[in-house]
Amino acid sequence: MEFFRDTSFDFMRLRRVCLGLSTVAVVAALGFIFSRPLNLGIDFASGTQMIVQFAEPPDVQKVRGLLEDAGIESASIQSFGTEEDNSVILRTSTADDGGEERTVRIEEMLQQHYNSGVSGFDLNRQGTEALASLLLEADPDDQRASGDDIAAREHYRAASAEVMAHRRDEGLIKDWSAVQPGEALSAAAVAAIRERATFGNFAVLSSDNVLPQIGSELRRKGLLAIAFALAGILAYIWFRFELRFGIGALAALAHDVAVCLGLFAFAGYEFNLTTVAAFLTVIGYSVNDSVVVFDRVRENLRRNRRESLVQVLNRSLNQTLSRTALTSGTTLLAVGSLFILGGDVIRGFSFLLLIGVLVGTYSSIYVASPIVLIWESSFGRERRQKRAAAA
Amino acid sequence: MNRNLILRGLLVLVVVGTCSFWAFPLADKIQLGLDLRGGIHLLLEVLTDDALRAEAQKDIDSLVQELDEKGVSGVTGATESPVRFRLTGVPPDRDELLPDILEETMPYWTWRRTGEDVIFDRRPDEVNNIREQAINQALQTIRNRVDEFGVAEPVIQRQGLGSNRLVVQLPGVDDPERVKNLIKNTAFLEFRLGVYPPAAGVPAVDTQEILSQYGGTLPDHLEIVPQDERDADGNVIGQVYYALEKRPVITGRDLKTARAGLGQFQEPVVNFSLTHEGAQIFEDWTGANIGNPLAIVLDGRVQSAPTVEGRISDSGIIRGQFTQQEVEDLATVLRSGALPAGIEYLEQRAVGPSLGQDSIEQGTRAFGYGIALVLVAMLVVYRGSGINAMVALGLNFVLVFGVLAYFGAALTLPGIAGLILTIGMAVDANVLVFERIREELHNGRTVKASVVSGFGKAWSSILDANLTTLIAAIFLINFGTGAIRGFAVTLTVGILASVFTAVFNSRLLFDLLLSRSGRVERLSI
Repeated sequence: MEFFRDTSFDFMRLRRVCLGLSTVAVVAALGFIFSRPLNLGIDFASGTQMIVQFAEPPDVQKVRGLLEDAGIESASIQSFGTEEDNSVILRTSTADDGGEERTVRIEEMLQQHYNSGVSGFDLNRQGTEALASLLLEADPDDQRASGDDIAAREHYRAASAEVMAHRRDEGLIKDWSAVQPGEALSAAAVAAIRERATFGNFAVLSSDNVLPQIGSELRRKGLLAIAFALAGILAYIWFRFELRFGIGALAALAHDVAVCLGLFAFAGYEFNLTTVAAFLTVIGYSVNDSVVVFDRVRENLRRNRRESLVQVLNRSLNQTLSRTALTSGTTLLAVGSLFILGGDVIRGFSFLLLIGVLVGTYSSIYVASPIVLIWESSFGRERRQKRAAAA
Repeated sequence: MNRNLILRGLLVLVVVGTCSFWAFPLADKIQLGLDLRGGIHLLLEVLTDDALRAEAQKDIDSLVQELDEKGVSGVTGATESPVRFRLTGVPPDRDELLPDILEETMPYWTWRRTGEDVIFDRRPDEVNNIREQAINQALQTIRNRVDEFGVAEPVIQRQGLGSNRLVVQLPGVDDPERVKNLIKNTAFLEFRLGVYPPAAGVPAVDTQEILSQYGGTLPDHLEIVPQDERDADGNVIGQVYYALEKRPVITGRDLKTARAGLGQFQEPVVNFSLTHEGAQIFEDWTGANIGNPLAIVLDGRVQSAPTVEGRISDSGIIRGQFTQQEVEDLATVLRSGALPAGIEYLEQRAVGPSLGQDSIEQGTRAFGYGIALVLVAMLVVYRGSGINAMVALGLNFVLVFGVLAYFGAALTLPGIAGLILTIGMAVDANVLVFERIREELHNGRTVKASVVSGFGKAWSSILDANLTTLIAAIFLINFGTGAIRGFAVTLTVGILASVFTAVFNSRLLFDLLLSRSGRVERLSI
């Protein structure tokens, strides 16, 4: 199937309108970015981030109140995942400076309020090794009689891993039906667990803690990575193309970075390490799109020297239109499924890729080429020659 | 079929065969990153200043002692910085003693007098030596401890040369707090003579009770050490106090082995044995102190204070109100040796297995749908040649997984995202070529000529387009930590593989098609 066979759209006719629109978009984006701070993730802002799953649907307001009572101010708490996940993601900045112990403090606070009736070994908060120790102490399978504690520990570690596998599938153990005898888990061991352990009302799915010196280091490294990548791409374009095309690609790139960053900030996603990765990809993609068009322009210029630049640009854009649409289309399909199905952990990342592809495609047609035209009419060879003739 | 085709076919087969060998079965060959598998990532700093201060303190003590032996008494010393200390009380006319003492036992200090005091500075090369040693010893100690923990494929390494940071990655471990404590544990163990209460007596309820025994001030050689009282669940409910000799009989350094075991009431205890040297000291001391209490002190807390009932030579039991987990950790830490310096966790990331599981499911689903949608699009748009693109895409993933497996690069969630992005980009090279072939066909060329010229003309665009993305990806690899690097690696490999499959392999398929039956009139594109 061919969508764009021998098209002859006059893209350049719209150049003033589109450049105007793009300028407005860039200014709006920059204004938005600078009007309020970016939502920095803990990679860059440093601080603590925890994802906690509860047995019952959690009250976000209540958790926030608890954190404030515990002296942890400026915490952000949002629900995480789907509704039946009963999970929240909570983030605190380093302002309250709990240092490396902050995660412990938050867990203790949660323990006090959600597990007030729960005491003893908590299957939802302890890990495989701890449960193995508990079983070894109880020794329901009479493994220690032989005197070989190492083998006994291995035995109970396998049993313990089987219990914890349920937590892996469910996130949280909610009732004893999750703890059933199995391959490595004997009925006696299950009885021992039931007797000695219990399960609390929340489980910590992940916890991250970043100290300020690491945060500032990562910020610096992230900026450096973007700067170097930009410089590298520019150097390549400078090497491969004439100046005017370089300027066009650069303008499209700047446009894409600004607009994407603005949209990203507007959507309120968190800016973290993975976002930097997505950004660099968007940069690569943006240039990629412009470069394919310019490749064609260069080829057409060589072949037909009598055509005006406007005509050549239009013709090249039409010739590459099918490719532009198709590549953007397939990439959008792939990135779109990532955005919809990829889950909350990388939602911001896939959002950035998604808008990056859209904006990058637009700019390769309506920013890069018009800028080449403007550059040419202001500083180009013909203009210079005319000036020289007039003088 | 001509030779050239056969050779190219062979090359593709060899590359694909090798990569399949590396990549399959995927479940065994592809390592999952911590974010997918669950586990702990720690970045910690060895506080080497601690080690320097400790070394300086040792030297202060022996300097003071040497001076005392040479008739200069009342000298005191204090560290001013990790690499400098100040001695007070050395009369200026006895300065000539210092060079001799320094040269004999501690030539790495330079000294100068400032008024009443003498300032000592450690030579810079020696400072570096001590820092290096501390880091290497910490690395070894932590490795020993983690090995005991039974982690498969742990990563424990220095973060770059000359850095005082260590990276610890423990895949699959689901007890982050326990691991953190285990690694950081100083477990400073001492056996000390108990002075109050006397043998089999009841410990003091407060420090006042002990002080009153000595008329209000404690003798210099004694120290008050607390013991935690615990309830049945192991929670600390109060403290009692002992007066102990300051000087330990033996310390954790004298231990040869330590093992978790069971005591006479089936309670968890640590069994230990002593080094040859330690055993000798202990045997003499216990022989001389039968009937006296022996306090076992761990990190400044009395664990138990049994009465010495007879001569003990080379092994014994550490008893306390321990849980099984505590004795296991204690045995591990005692066995692994002491940390030379304190540790600070700069960065800690713990991912539970259930979150990783969700990420894997979501990632695979997105991957599956993405690939299916792209393939359908390619088939609709390019019909027969779409199959060519499908083959290229399939091979592309074989190559990417093969290279990932070969280099042991872990697949992370951003890595899966990189793969999904690669799907979109991988077809780009095909699209560029196919579009060119179509154009040439429209211009009335023969199928064969169109294919040749389509590939030829698309090449420059393919090169430019992929190189720009490649440049960005390579900077990411260098910048990247953990998960990001995973993304950059899959993207880089994906780009390279897509150029190979689209240009080399697609061309081969077209050429095979064209060489089959003399003259091909139509191409499904």
